[in-house]
Amino acid sequence: MAQGKLKIAFYWAASCGGCEIAVLDINEKILDVVQIADIVFWPVAMDIKYKDVEAMPDKYIDVCFFNGGIRNSEQEHMAKLLRQKSKILIAYGACAHLGGVPGLANLHNKKEIFEKAYMSTFSTDNPNKVTPKPKVHVKEGELEIPEFYDTVKTLDQTVEVDYYVPGCPPAVERTLYAIDAIAKGNLPPKGSVLAPLKSVCDDCSRKKENKKISKIYRVYEKVPEPEKCLLEQGILCMGPATRGGCGARCLNADMPCTGCGGPCPNAPEQGAAMISALASILGLEEEKEKYTEDEVEKLVTQIRDPVGTFYMYGLPASILKRKVMRE
Amino acid sequence: MSSQKEFEPKIVGFLCNWCSYAGADLAGVSRIQYPPNIRIIRVMCSGRIDPAFILEALKNGADGVLVAGCHLPSDCHYISGNFKALRRVTLLKKVLEEFGIEPERVRLEWVSASEGDKFAAVVRDMVEQIKKLGPNPLKMEAKQT
Amino acid sequence: MGESKVGAVLVVGGGVAGIQAALDLADSGFKVYLADQSPSIGGVMAQLDKTFPTNDCSMCILAPKLVAAGRHPNITLITNSEVVGLNGEAGNFEVKIRKRSRYINEDKCNGCGLCAQKCPVEAIDTYNKGLTDRSAVYVEFPQAVPLRFKIDREKCIGCRTCQEVCKANAVEYYQKDSEVILNVGSIILAPGFEPFDARLKSEYGYGRYQNVVTSIEFERILSASGPYGGIVLRPSDGEIPRKIAFVQCVGSRDAQLGNNYCSAACCMYSIKEAIIAKEHVPTKLECTIFYMDIRAYGKEFDAYYKRAKEEYGIQFVRSRVASITEDQSTGNLFVHYVGEDETPRIEEFDMIILSTGMQPPKDVEKLAKVLGIKLNKYRFCETGAFTPLETSKPGIYVCGAFSSPKDIPESVAQASAAASKAMAIIAPERGKLVTVKEAPPEIDVGQEEPRIGVFICHCGINIGGIVRVPEVVEYAKKLPNVVYAEDNLYTCSDDTQKRIREKIKEHNLNRVVVASCTPRTHEPLFRETVREAGLNPYLFEMANIRDQCSWVHMHEPEEATEKAKDLVRSVVAKARLLKPLKNPTVKVTPVGLVIGGGVSGMTAALELANQGFEVHLVEREKELGGHLKKIYYVLEGEDPQEYLRRLVKAVMEHERIHVYLGASVVEVNGFVGNFKSKILHNGEEKQVEHGIVIVATGATEYKPKEYLYGEDTRVLTQHELEEKLAEGKFNAKKVVMIQCVGARNEERPNCARICCGQAIKNALKIKELNPDADVYVLYKDVRSYGFKEEYYREAAAKGVLFISYSDEKKPKVTNESGKLKLAFWEPVLKQEIQMEPDIVVLSAATIPNPDNKRIAEMLKVPLTKDGFFLEAHMKLRPVDFQTDGVFLCGMAHSPKFIEESISQACAAAARAATILSKKELEMEGIVANVDEDLCSGCRICEYLCPYGAIEMKEKDGKLVAHVIEALCKGCGVCGTACPTKAIILGHFTTEEILAQVRAVLKEMEAIAA
Ligand code: SF4
Ligand code: SF4
Ligand code: FES
Repeated sequence: MAQGKLKIAFYWAASCGGCEIAVLDINEKILDVVQIADIVFWPVAMDIKYKDVEAMPDKYIDVCFFNGGIRNSEQEHMAKLLRQKSKILIAYGACAHLGGVPGLANLHNKKEIFEKAYMSTFSTDNPNKVTPKPKVHVKEGELEIPEFYDTVKTLDQTVEVDYYVPGCPPAVERTLYAIDAIAKGNLPPKGSVLAPLKSVCDDCSRKKENKKISKIYRVYEKVPEPEKCLLEQGILCMGPATRGGCGARCLNADMPCTGCGGPCPNAPEQGAAMISALASILGLEEEKEKYTEDEVEKLVTQIRDPVGTFYMYGLPASILKRKVMRE
Repeated sequence: MSSQKEFEPKIVGFLCNWCSYAGADLAGVSRIQYPPNIRIIRVMCSGRIDPAFILEALKNGADGVLVAGCHLPSDCHYISGNFKALRRVTLLKKVLEEFGIEPERVRLEWVSASEGDKFAAVVRDMVEQIKKLGPNPLKMEAKQT
Repeated sequence: MGESKVGAVLVVGGGVAGIQAALDLADSGFKVYLADQSPSIGGVMAQLDKTFPTNDCSMCILAPKLVAAGRHPNITLITNSEVVGLNGEAGNFEVKIRKRSRYINEDKCNGCGLCAQKCPVEAIDTYNKGLTDRSAVYVEFPQAVPLRFKIDREKCIGCRTCQEVCKANAVEYYQKDSEVILNVGSIILAPGFEPFDARLKSEYGYGRYQNVVTSIEFERILSASGPYGGIVLRPSDGEIPRKIAFVQCVGSRDAQLGNNYCSAACCMYSIKEAIIAKEHVPTKLECTIFYMDIRAYGKEFDAYYKRAKEEYGIQFVRSRVASITEDQSTGNLFVHYVGEDETPRIEEFDMIILSTGMQPPKDVEKLAKVLGIKLNKYRFCETGAFTPLETSKPGIYVCGAFSSPKDIPESVAQASAAASKAMAIIAPERGKLVTVKEAPPEIDVGQEEPRIGVFICHCGINIGGIVRVPEVVEYAKKLPNVVYAEDNLYTCSDDTQKRIREKIKEHNLNRVVVASCTPRTHEPLFRETVREAGLNPYLFEMANIRDQCSWVHMHEPEEATEKAKDLVRSVVAKARLLKPLKNPTVKVTPVGLVIGGGVSGMTAALELANQGFEVHLVEREKELGGHLKKIYYVLEGEDPQEYLRRLVKAVMEHERIHVYLGASVVEVNGFVGNFKSKILHNGEEKQVEHGIVIVATGATEYKPKEYLYGEDTRVLTQHELEEKLAEGKFNAKKVVMIQCVGARNEERPNCARICCGQAIKNALKIKELNPDADVYVLYKDVRSYGFKEEYYREAAAKGVLFISYSDEKKPKVTNESGKLKLAFWEPVLKQEIQMEPDIVVLSAATIPNPDNKRIAEMLKVPLTKDGFFLEAHMKLRPVDFQTDGVFLCGMAHSPKFIEESISQACAAAARAATILSKKELEMEGIVANVDEDLCSGCRICEYLCPYGAIEMKEKDGKLVAHVIEALCKGCGVCGTACPTKAIILGHFTTEEILAQVRAVLKEMEAIAA
């Protein structure tokens, strides 16, 4: 790393903002960060304009933490700009990494979303059916707002990304790990996800014994036994297919993993990995007796909202990336 | 972009070595003719067919994917791989539907080593069906963006 | 030569039994010659469509065995041959074999089949039982092993077309018969059977009426590879039949014809054919089976029979059909029979299937004469009641239907059993005559950039006539990492193998791709070739551009050529990623553990010991003998107690057998080759190490709850009766036996198999002691299968009355103020009969050993619903478990007669010997491996493996999965499920397959646009 203090930037694109808070969650460690770093750009906390960034020389920023996916032209522009200005660009949090929850918008397109958001919800009163347009003429002249895209993209589908910090939001230990690695200058090869190789199961202290399930319960349908693997109790947990390093926070709170850590390093896709794993163990016990179309159908329809389950955070990063829309 | 020549679907077939691949071989030995739209990839058991393979085939423009294994309940050379394939493909189809892809593009069939004719019939039928469905919508999408 | 022994065995007959015997012997270190009369191996099973009671596809399960036998380095196939001379004696025979000419050079022919396509002659296809035609130059069926053509000189018109078209120059029109002399230590006879010639039963009209077919013909009609492509059509007019009938016992149980035996398998195959026919006929099909007794005596057979009745609605009519006549205008048939109510009836059907029995093949007399063995009066091979595998000549053994009619699993078990016998007498010669191939050291291709060589086959004109091969070669040259490509007339020929090896050297190739026919038959050959050139055999991959391209797109050369390119491209993409694999090996402890000291356990132990292995034999009771201790007579006349004494003595005195009485196995750890177990004996735990386990835990007699048993001392079981008879304490004058007590009911739906034989045996004994005694047998079906049928006849002739009862009208036993009363329904007289028997004897079922559950859990092997042990495969692996290294035999498998238990025990020993005879087991290199850095211990994979190859072990305080390579069969189920993809299946890795997927689609796109 360069001599003297590091120049750090934070940016917030298509995400909920939780990642910004997550940065603060490292509590007093933030002071250490300030010790070694100067924050040169952080829209949520500091008043630095885009044009100030544009004025920075290329690679001026040492490390940029970018959270959020790319769903409009402004975000795309900023991603490109920050890429140009940063030595290291980090996709911080599930949205930048995989598209995140906003990525579920890929089950629709702009038209559908606008119709829903600006016309058909109960609380909407929009008789003229006005929807946002990139350019609007008002008395004062022409107003420009960013263009809304059909598809949410991950950061690395837009620009080259050097590292990823997974999580929705990233666990404190992940953020600290990243900061520590940067400070000490011992970052792994480019393109790495800054998390352990194993899945959430490795973090999870619940007892795993026999993974044959035949009935699936939704979270509210069952009070889980405290020590036992949730999946073995029929509660759909994405932990097995999700990269760990989060300390299994959700499991410790009796909630199943929903998959924010993204795929494990060897898996071509997180959703497919869980589909394959789950379908293998579901109905395993009685597979030789119950295998008619109806019976199998019944088994799998226990899984409500499959895409929401298997791709809650990863739809834009999945193999198919989005739903196919037809006119 | 229609009306050039007739749309010829591309089908990727994942076949287990012991029954279905053998059935496809028998179709050959018996010179049973079927349309040349299918490309076969051999795996040892239908239980090796990962949903990711099917997704990858669709993403790369396959108009249809055939998954074939030994007959239920007891023909699988590895005893029960075919049951896993059955459940995986059934679940995957649900997901595909949500992705806006006709689940009929993915077809699961049991073909035994003596069913050369069935293999040929399945391919013929699949080609017909997919012609009706039209090209893989992902390809249209890819062209637009 | 004198006393020196020879470590080679001749197996006569290449049906499923012969193949099994050959494989077991060859896998245990003996040289095997497998001789068959026909041009290819496979026997009758190759003609079957499905098999009962699981409806497995016959060819699917047989084909891998055919290929294994065809490729085994220690098996030499001598097809188209017959045995013509024998000299020498057990341990050292000299056999003369005549090989009939094929008129085609076997070494040159590569089975491409061009000749048959061009042959102008239409001959009768015997594989399809004459229902279709074939050419004069032919193979019997497409999957034939060896895949070498033959000219049928009787049909051949001498046009020489084949000679002209054969690119391999294999046609030798003037080839002569030849003779070979083999030197072998022992001989196994497995010539199989021949279906009874239905013409001899002229009243059924076979041969005159077109729509009367035999069961084997019907089997071909049902088969997808049969004459009508699996659609059931009747031969006269190609119409789909709506009403068909099966007539049982054609050529069996027939005194007039002198075939006084039951063919043992026909009931089941007719039920199967009826079920399959129902499945194949889209419209409603009525099936009726005319039978005398339904002999569904085997494991799970009755459940199958029940399904046939209840689920499939198949009609069963108990009657011997008198005759069949034809309506000439429609081709329909009339069945004339006497109904169960004794009234004559006539019923019309569209088609009739005659369930033809089994009889010994035509030339067995000749064979018997040449070999000097005795035949029984039906021309089957003569054997003893306790020596079911020995012929009358030492050193010559028998198995399969030649010793008595039997179904596939019993033939297979007997085949292994005969192998055990055949190897025991030449045990010291093990390993002396087998070929061990030396290969050069393997080149380390480590991190080298892939350098791929592609060889593309014309297959004569099979591929090249349609696919533009040179164009594909040019195309292949442009693919990434391909440094060399060429085309060959026959890539599989010997000279091309040499060429491939040279090219590997010349161009420093480190991956090889062949585009030709199917990897299912040819991959092993090419793997061997690349290995001989110093490459790891797994650095090879194949594209199938014949069976799945040129042959199926014969009229689309353009598309076929493009498809061939796609396939080559896809396989090259995979080849780039191929990694060398090592065949895992495990050391073997050459010791056996046998659980159970009854006749099966003792026999298995003795067989293993005779083959030179040490054995631990564990018996729960204080004494050896098990069930056999209670058997005093057998139908065939020999003395079972005497046999038992001899067996116990042999076991106790054998230096290699360690017997533990009053002991039990309490813990089993490890896996094939390397088990460590604990035996609890005299209050102490003893640890033993062993390479295999044989489960021979036997069964017990059901203690009836019905018919006043236990309440009235005049009601006894067959065993109790037998004891009385043996002790001379029997004096009753009126005896009623009730069959199927505790069997064939709701709780235990299956038949207990041996009770009918027991009842007949004891009835005959009673008649022998007191010819005037009245003996009644109340039965559901008399299941005296095989040669036991004779004794049924004898009993009937001696006045034993057999009266059938049904579940609805069961006999009633009451005690009316001290008097034992019995009431039963007489179906012919249609009335209830009352009588006062002296004793009532219950044929109580044989039920599983209650300890089975514990043992099954300990060994991680499955039980059937009934509680017997469940073998790996009902048809072809009757004494194996799914878990390697664990075997079963005897009544632990299902109820059995003594000779059947003996056969199975020998079989288990032979199967075990295939492991124990090796210092090290070498497995296929395609196995799963766990990357412990990725495995997160979720345990999703654990129960998915059908072979129990996955175990969880501790690493750094956490669990990770571990694949026991020795047990893994490489199916990939586990890795496909593994959500972290920590399990990697060699040669079919996710990257490799994904690369194939991408490559196969990539340019098709460009071409289409
Ligand atoms: S499924 Fe994969 S991660 Fe889970 S225990 Fe098995 S190998 Fe480990
Ligand atoms: S590849 Fe198949 S046989 Fe091998 S460990 Fe996995 S599941 Fe078992
Ligand atoms: S081997 Fe064919 S499905 Fe398993």
